[in-house]
Amino acid sequence: MNLDSARQAFIEEVAELLQLMEDALLALEENPEDPESLNEVFRAMHTIKGTGGVFGYTPIVDFTHTVETLMDAVRSGRMALSKALIETLFECRDHTSALIDFIAADKTGTAPLSSELQRAGDALLARLGHAPVASPLPVAALNFDTPKSLPEANDLWMISLEFKRDALRNGMDPLSFLRYLGSLGELVHVATLFPIVSTASEHFDPESCYLSFGIAFRSDADKRTIAGVFEFADEDCEIRILEPDSAHHRYIELLETIPHEQVDCMGDLLVSIGALTPFELVRALKTQETAPQTIDSDGSTSKRRLGEILVEQGSIKPNVIEHAVKTQENVRAKRQEENRVIRVDAQRLGHLIDLVGELVTSSAAIRVMVKRAGIDNMTEVVDGVDYLVSEIRDNALQLRMVAIGESLSRFRRVVRDVSQELGKSIELIITGGETELDKTVVEKITDPLTHLIRNAVDHGIEMPAIRQAAGKLTTGTIHLNAYHDSGHIVIEINDDGAGLDAARIRAKAELKGLIKPEDVLTHEEILRLIFAPGLSTKDQATNLSGRGVGMDVVRRNIEALRGTVELESQFGIGTKITIILPLTLAIIEGFLVGAGRDQYVIPLSQVAECVEMNVNETRKHRGEHYINLRGEVLPFIRLTDLFENADSTRTVNQRESLVVVRFGHHKMGLVVDTLLGELQTVIKPLGKLFERLRGVAGATILGTGDIALILDVAELATIGHIHRHSISKQ
Amino acid sequence: MGQLVASKPTSQMVHGEVSDEVTQYLTFSVADERLAMSINAVKEIIETPQVTRVPMTPDYIRGVINLRGSVVPVIDLGARLGRGSLVLTKRSCIVLVEVQVGDDSHVLGMLVDEVKNILDIPPEDVKLPPEFGSEIRTDFIEAMGRVDDVFVIILSVDHVLSVQELAALRHFTEDTTLSNSSE
Repeated sequence: MNLDSARQAFIEEVAELLQLMEDALLALEENPEDPESLNEVFRAMHTIKGTGGVFGYTPIVDFTHTVETLMDAVRSGRMALSKALIETLFECRDHTSALIDFIAADKTGTAPLSSELQRAGDALLARLGHAPVASPLPVAALNFDTPKSLPEANDLWMISLEFKRDALRNGMDPLSFLRYLGSLGELVHVATLFPIVSTASEHFDPESCYLSFGIAFRSDADKRTIAGVFEFADEDCEIRILEPDSAHHRYIELLETIPHEQVDCMGDLLVSIGALTPFELVRALKTQETAPQTIDSDGSTSKRRLGEILVEQGSIKPNVIEHAVKTQENVRAKRQEENRVIRVDAQRLGHLIDLVGELVTSSAAIRVMVKRAGIDNMTEVVDGVDYLVSEIRDNALQLRMVAIGESLSRFRRVVRDVSQELGKSIELIITGGETELDKTVVEKITDPLTHLIRNAVDHGIEMPAIRQAAGKLTTGTIHLNAYHDSGHIVIEINDDGAGLDAARIRAKAELKGLIKPEDVLTHEEILRLIFAPGLSTKDQATNLSGRGVGMDVVRRNIEALRGTVELESQFGIGTKITIILPLTLAIIEGFLVGAGRDQYVIPLSQVAECVEMNVNETRKHRGEHYINLRGEVLPFIRLTDLFENADSTRTVNQRESLVVVRFGHHKMGLVVDTLLGELQTVIKPLGKLFERLRGVAGATILGTGDIALILDVAELATIGHIHRHSISKQ
Repeated sequence: MGQLVASKPTSQMVHGEVSDEVTQYLTFSVADERLAMSINAVKEIIETPQVTRVPMTPDYIRGVINLRGSVVPVIDLGARLGRGSLVLTKRSCIVLVEVQVGDDSHVLGMLVDEVKNILDIPPEDVKLPPEFGSEIRTDFIEAMGRVDDVFVIILSVDHVLSVQELAALRHFTEDTTLSNSSE
């Protein structure tokens, strides 16, 4: 059981890492030099390798190890990142994802890798292995071994040796150190400093050592190894070793990748990355100990900072210290954040939300009971409980809210892949990624969004040449935007492509018999026809989209989430698709109405106002289904007519009410018998049997134990339209 | 209408073929006819609570009920078998049945006039259904059981309560609703 949950956590972690890697790769496409992104890719592979190793998933370890090694070469400048290499890395990402899927599917965790996966992996590895020299990646091959054109001096270690007077007396031979040093690398230049002007001076003591050396040294050895050369001279010599600039880069990178548990002490941190030798650290710590304590402006005493001492001592360059300090701060901040965030199983949250739903229903039942029993002094308590329950409900729902950004950013990959395949140049701009909505909605919106974005790439944005001819920028733009609006989340997909050709849509719709040539439709109505089943204006179906099954499925999916989708488009200028979704699928604020023998819930966020119907007026215009609402024409539906459930005991003279509802940019009236007030509505799905039922979004259980159906206003409008249509045809 | 919809059989159901083991059957009456079904599919039998009508659905969908906090659809077996909607009486009952849809199981209620009793019918008394001559759709009949020299129709729950079919037929009825309303 435990191993299972650990495995699940691993799989989730990998998915996140792969997402990060993908983002980083996309960033690298823009800017191949970006060190942050290079590190990101390296880290992703490194972490997957490490965690995979813990579980003993050898195929993952082997594969990611190769990629990691390659990335290490890239980020240390030993290998250039070509476009082809980025492409291969994308494939490596996908392959890793496939490996993880394989592991996720394999319950025992012991099944051998399928030969297909094995082959795919081997092929990728072969490409990576030959990357620096072989033909598939000529760009990389050309740039190999010529990293950033650093000036030569930057590659050299600077070592300063100042022997003390007693060095010779203690049996030290300065020359032997230089010889030994020479075995580790190349002594590029040795400057011998000899401070005494004249050996003839009477102060000159032949047994004393006056020598100092400045050494320019080229070596791949790390600082600790180099310092090791002078280990025996520690007592008799002032040693300063300054690493080459390229090593600084490495230290800085190491600082960024260092495990978090190692950053507590600045000194240990620097030693662990090899920027500082233990000896240098001890010396600096001693200095710190003996240094007089400074008194801060607020009166507290503080020691000198270790970093300052190290720089003064010449053990390290200031920019490395700076980075080390930054790393320390980052990690501390992150650690605090980690302490504030808890990972919770989504199922547990789901269960909690179910329970809260039951609680809401039960508290409504209590209210009904108290009212029926007429216990007046209970009302206050019931109000208090009601308030708490609604608070608990809001908080519980909040737990499942996630920022939409992560799922939007995966479209970068979609846009990139599809546009490359088509030879188009497209920029995807994402804004409002921090907008939150229920995780269950996020999961369900991905498919329709993918479809819409593919459409925009495939049909929307034109080929660069056509764009140029039309006087547009050759690079097309798709703008994804998300924001909250009155209890809903709005997602906009805006492209500056060709737009929809209303005339062609109309022609096609007539051809398919969806409309008649004599029908009068507004521009908007014609555009909406693309949501009708079986209509596609693209004459040639591509493998991306355009098989004519797209938009109606998108609309259905979105409506299944109780959302709406709207379309605006101007031919030649672009298309804007607006998706409006409820924030949650679990509990909403509802408005309870009675119509005929039944009760219904209208989502409160869609209720604009309630007005009384003028009986005489509506009776006068029985055949017409619109009223004059303060000078505005408002179409309406009488629920009892549509649902054919009129209560026979009701007399025609009893007053009816009109609930004005809005959906998208539209308004409509629903005529009901009674208004019963606001209600916390726990949405219960109606199940598979009513899957294709339109106009009803779900059901809820009232305090009395009865069931009320939740109305889908946008669907009702469509049905009402058909309804009216069929009447007017008479 | 007579289209057969393939649905996954419940594991323990008898399928037209005569099985070796004695199976228990629940018998009940619908529109004065005695019917039976394998007891394996039956989850629970309840008295008829308040049924909430679902608009714009065919008449064999009686509505939904609140079963301890879940919303459960109820099928009017009279209407489903072509005998007209049942009239509720004191003896009316809802038989709750679990049906498989793909990998999920769903609970459906079946409104009947009266639940009679549980019978053991030995395999040799379970006969294949007649190919014609029955008023009930042939695919709804799983077998005929002989009880006291009288044949009782054993219903095929998978077909009578095929969720795919029940849900799919809505389109057809929606059209009729619309044409009715335009008259």
